[in-house]
Amino acid sequence: MSLLSGKFVLFFLCVFAAYFLMPRKSRWVVLLIGSYVFYLFSSVRMTAYLLLTTFTTFFSAKRIGALNKETSEYLTVHKAELDRETKKQYKAGQMKRKRRYLLFAVLWNIGTLCVLKYTGFVFDTINRTLHFVADMEAVLPSVRFMLPLGISFYTFQTVGYVIDVYRGKYEPDTSLPKYMLFVSFFPQIIQGPISRYNQLAHQLYEGHEFDYTRITMGLQLVLWGLIKKLVLADRLIKVSNMIFQNYTDYAGLTMFIGGTVYGVYMYADFSGGIDMIRGIAQVFGIEMMQNFERPYFATSLSEFWRRWHISLGEWMRDYVFYPVSLSKAFGRLGKKTKKWFGTKTGKVIPTYLATFITFMLVGIWQGTELKYVGYGFWNASIIAGSLLLKPVFTKTLDFLHIKADSFYWKAFGMLRTFFLCSLGRFFSGGLSLKSALVMMKSFFTVWNPQVLTDGTFLNMGLTRRDWLVVLIMLIIMLIVGILQERGIRIRSSIAGMPLPMRWFIYIGAIVFVVLLGQYGPGFVSADFVYQQF
Amino acid sequence: MREELMEILREQRPDVDFEVEQALIDDEILDSFDIVSLVSELNDNFDIAINVDDLLPENFNSADAMLELIQKLQEEG
Repeated sequence: MSLLSGKFVLFFLCVFAAYFLMPRKSRWVVLLIGSYVFYLFSSVRMTAYLLLTTFTTFFSAKRIGALNKETSEYLTVHKAELDRETKKQYKAGQMKRKRRYLLFAVLWNIGTLCVLKYTGFVFDTINRTLHFVADMEAVLPSVRFMLPLGISFYTFQTVGYVIDVYRGKYEPDTSLPKYMLFVSFFPQIIQGPISRYNQLAHQLYEGHEFDYTRITMGLQLVLWGLIKKLVLADRLIKVSNMIFQNYTDYAGLTMFIGGTVYGVYMYADFSGGIDMIRGIAQVFGIEMMQNFERPYFATSLSEFWRRWHISLGEWMRDYVFYPVSLSKAFGRLGKKTKKWFGTKTGKVIPTYLATFITFMLVGIWQGTELKYVGYGFWNASIIAGSLLLKPVFTKTLDFLHIKADSFYWKAFGMLRTFFLCSLGRFFSGGLSLKSALVMMKSFFTVWNPQVLTDGTFLNMGLTRRDWLVVLIMLIIMLIVGILQERGIRIRSSIAGMPLPMRWFIYIGAIVFVVLLGQYGPGFVSADFVYQQF
Repeated sequence: MREELMEILREQRPDVDFEVEQALIDDEILDSFDIVSLVSELNDNFDIAINVDDLLPENFNSADAMLELIQKLQEEG
């Protein structure tokens, strides 16, 4: 059931009515039933995967929580009689028991995700390698598994939950039905954000009052997401598809504009979808975490990734980057690199390596083709390179008497980041690694500014009027972004306006999306790009 | 011990006033790269082993919080 379908609107209205008609204490039950109805609509068979993940993580976390409790009670009761060594041994033994449950939950669920997502790729690679090396026919079947809706999102969310309980951040959930809601919450399961248990669960479980202002603010966010998706993203996708799919027909600046357009399309599509999800949740009184914080205002690529798909970035940081960087193996590596390269350079090498691993994983998470490895490599090498060169940059700025926090330096940083992001999109949006490299070469070797005026961009499925709409949308988004960067809460301001003004804006926005949105007979709106993850 | 810690912090991020800041993590003053390199410095200088479970905002939000963590880990041996 697509977020953009009439069926979803009807479904949402039913859940909305049932939620606020139910006594407050039982309102979470409506969300649970609604979430499972929504999931069953996507696929009855695939619901088994969702249930398996729910059960394995719930019971593993419960056992880990019980062991945490047992450990702390034992240490309190026997505090006086235990010496430091015995205490250490006891803790290590308990840790080992806990680790078994953690490993089970992580391996089962990440394993399921990997098998469903990557088996086809692995089999094809083996077949191709055998054909190349020994001229053998395909020995393994070509398989493609159907992916359960939102599998990456609910897997990461639940694995994060078990690890947090293992780390003692919070107690495990005691109610299986409530936990089932935490895993399956219907707007979120489509494409995230990947929420943290301590941030989301209690909000889902408590019944929220009918609050008119909050509901209108939620609907404002839904409308804003809809505008980004239907007015901007569904227009831009035509242009980037045209350039990326026919990359041999274009050259130079057109390639760069293709990368830029694809980046903005991804932003409008993904953040638009997330806005709709967060808006729907807000209608029920649930504040979901931000997943985007105006990434195009970032002054460096690492800051860009802290502002883009924040929940995945934080997940990767807490459950991949930190554990890898602080692992014993990396500690040993750090000692060796210090010996080989000197203290200053040697101590940062493991951090660069961990950065590489993290970005390669993010790349591979997006897809199995080599282009995604290229995308991970592109981002990781720029970020690790800029870290390595940070002292040189600082000295250069000092030498040139440029203040790092000056407006012009920040503006330069934004433009530089925008440029690097646009080029990086050759990898994620291109047809293959080869096409990305061809586009890159063309951009750096062909100078053809005339494409901006010779009508090239009017032959890509968008008319002059469409480009004008794109321009207007970009200006609106820029203004909204600047206001938000200055801490102005636009939706609260609108909600606080006098009734005629407020409704003028609401109706204006609805008319805007009705008149300028890409929909109607013969037009199939593209699925949200992250829906397939 | 405090002075030694302050010296490490100042060397790490000369642009931050660690005497004043109380929300180094919550306000995103320190990023993940700072944290990893800081942990490696603290481990080496204070002969402790900060592990991933200790990476909670409340342990790194201020110099005093870090000092408390170092003392706790030294006591635990």
